Amino acid sequence: MATSQAPTRQAITLKGSTNLVTEFFKYAANTILFQRGVYPSDDFHMVKKYGQTVLVTQDLALENYLDRILKQVNKWLLTGSVTQLVLAIISKDTRLPLERWVFDVNLVEKPADSAEPTPAKPESEIQAEIRYILKQIVSTVTFLPIIDTPTVFNILAYTHDSADVPADEWVDTDPLAIEASKSQQVKLRSFSTDVHRIEALVAYRYEG
Amino acid sequence: MTSIPKTPSRYRSRSDAKTPLTPSMISAFNGISISPQKRSHPADLSNPFITKSRQASPVKRAAGGGIAISDSFQRQAGGGVIRKGGIETRLDVVSRDYLPPTSQPRPELKRSRSTPATRERTQSTGDNRDRFITTREVDDVAATLEIMSLNPKTASPGHTARLAAATGVPLNRRVLAYHEAPPASSSDSTLSQQRELARPLYGRPGELPSSTSSTTNKSRRIPTQPERVLDAPGMVDDFYLNLVSWSIQNIVAVALAESTYVWRADTGVVSHLGEAPEGTYVSSVDFSNDGAYLGIGLGTGEVELWDVEAGQKLRTMGGHQGQIAVLSWNAHILSSGCGDGSIWHHDVRVPRHKVMELLGHTGEVCGLKWRADGELLASGGNDNVVNIWDGRVGDVTDGARGQAKWTKRNHTAAVKAIAWCPWQSSLLASGGGTNDATIHVWNSGTGARLHSLKTPSQVTSIIWSPHKKEILTTHGYPTNAIMVHAYPSLERIAEIRDAHDSRVLYTAVGPAGDVVCTGAGDENLKFWRIWEGVGAKKKKEGKERSSSTTRSGILSIR
Repeated sequence: MATSQAPTRQAITLKGSTNLVTEFFKYAANTILFQRGVYPSDDFHMVKKYGQTVLVTQDLALENYLDRILKQVNKWLLTGSVTQLVLAIISKDTRLPLERWVFDVNLVEKPADSAEPTPAKPESEIQAEIRYILKQIVSTVTFLPIIDTPTVFNILAYTHDSADVPADEWVDTDPLAIEASKSQQVKLRSFSTDVHRIEALVAYRYEG
Repeated sequence: MTSIPKTPSRYRSRSDAKTPLTPSMISAFNGISISPQKRSHPADLSNPFITKSRQASPVKRAAGGGIAISDSFQRQAGGGVIRKGGIETRLDVVSRDYLPPTSQPRPELKRSRSTPATRERTQSTGDNRDRFITTREVDDVAATLEIMSLNPKTASPGHTARLAAATGVPLNRRVLAYHEAPPASSSDSTLSQQRELARPLYGRPGELPSSTSSTTNKSRRIPTQPERVLDAPGMVDDFYLNLVSWSIQNIVAVALAESTYVWRADTGVVSHLGEAPEGTYVSSVDFSNDGAYLGIGLGTGEVELWDVEAGQKLRTMGGHQGQIAVLSWNAHILSSGCGDGSIWHHDVRVPRHKVMELLGHTGEVCGLKWRADGELLASGGNDNVVNIWDGRVGDVTDGARGQAKWTKRNHTAAVKAIAWCPWQSSLLASGGGTNDATIHVWNSGTGARLHSLKTPSQVTSIIWSPHKKEILTTHGYPTNAIMVHAYPSLERIAEIRDAHDSRVLYTAVGPAGDVVCTGAGDENLKFWRIWEGVGAKKKKEGKERSSSTTRSGILSIR
């Protein structure tokens, strides 16, 4: 029966979808770190992914750091506990938030009354959507303010209270928000798999 | 009655009385512009007495939105009289001074039964701005809230719940960050080293910190600008050729395409020495040890012998089958390295000049240097091989001298740069091309490899400093640099990036041992003062040596 198959297919695609999303976060984070000059551009090398070349860091320490974070994000995604991921770029000296790259994680609403399972979204389409977002992130350098000062980044995760948080690894912190009067926001494209829907937006500090 | 024009003061006082409001709460609540949702049904609710929603009094869940009224009416009502079609409708006018909260906080908790279905969204598409709060973006407000550090935990649960729901930052959300800070960028030493080496790929002469910046010894300053630049029009950009030579009499010979010029460094006079025959070009030049004679190798395979002082060609020695890319003198023997890989020894005194042939290369011979005492000859070729030959010249009887004493295949690219150490005669330095870019130092007695140094670009020549324990190397792709290294530590003392606009291909050191001359395809001949303060007595010694050789060396050439 078609309907009885649907649940099992869903369970599989949930894991696949979370892996897709986590991978996307990894490449998006790398792209942002490169484009915004948080790490020297020589540290990055090109790999083929999503049908185009993307830049990934060669710095082992940074790679490990991102992997640890994303592993936890993956777990949260599986349980649906994380709702938003933010990559905040703050000035190294003054700790002033300069940019916030906000990725909303929503669960795709299944039309509850559909008799037949919805056709799975082809991987190529998902990849195309991811490609668009990455290209768009790259293109944002055209309007984002130039950052001259050395910066560091922080990854924040907005989770539910009920989320299972390994206490020694993740701590509650200040959301590093940019003051409302000084922040400009640009909503970027989104992509969705069968299970998750990721929306992206960038908020940057803009004086005057 | 549908619309009661509101008089702000009246409402404000009323609402104030009901619930104690802090100004921050007011602004927070004001700021809530919840994203528009489809109005599934027209506002049927209404308590007609409430035309505008306001802060919920704890008890009375005011009917949501009070949108019994359409938006335009609301606006009009709020803003005084707005004539239909009048200018105000077309202008983007913030028409109200103060806008009491319009949206309805929706608590999950209390809701009195009597209240009609509350509308979730109110006035979402209308003009919510007023004079004091000119923007009502949700995220901004959320951000503002966070800055105001509204701490939901200390307030009463019901209140905070409403507050949280209202502001869109729900309570049951945590903002988490990984406990470790992200790594600093230069944490990886190999990466930072790589970065330093790779820097020239992205920079151009002006931008680069270039030259003596990061790695120079503070006490050692090498001028990054040449002392003198001579124009060398027609100088070809060919890696394999050796077009510059500097004699012990302080004369520089330069080959430009077919012509050979000599520049006297003492007087600064340039004279045209000679032309290659029609159809061919000069591929190498080398002064004899005493500086009296100049050997010129041609593209056709002939070697010419010229008298420098008289400016005359003395003889032409032919026979080679390929271009003569490199020449090296040893007293009366002129050795030539050919494009076919053979090395011939020419005795310039006798008519049958070819006295020996060394076959040890399968590729073009581009590096050739006699050791100063004439015991050994080192050669490097396009086949990536370095050969060290016994220097005794004569008939090859049992093949002992027909083969190289040492054959080194460590380089992975053409070996043009070959140099013997002046202060320790067993040392030989060799440098490889683009693929290799490594300098190896060998002990010619034992054949051992003593040192190796990887450089960022192809090595085009090596010069040992006559008076200091240093090695100068010139490079091509991609840095076009001149580098000075200490020996034996091979630590970089100085670097002059982009010494030329193209590969630094031809190098010669002056007889005083202080100035190095470099030539490149950018048609410039640059003189760099690398080693200063050369002892005067050394100079005298050199002069003595040269005078003695003229007595005992080549006396007459037929």
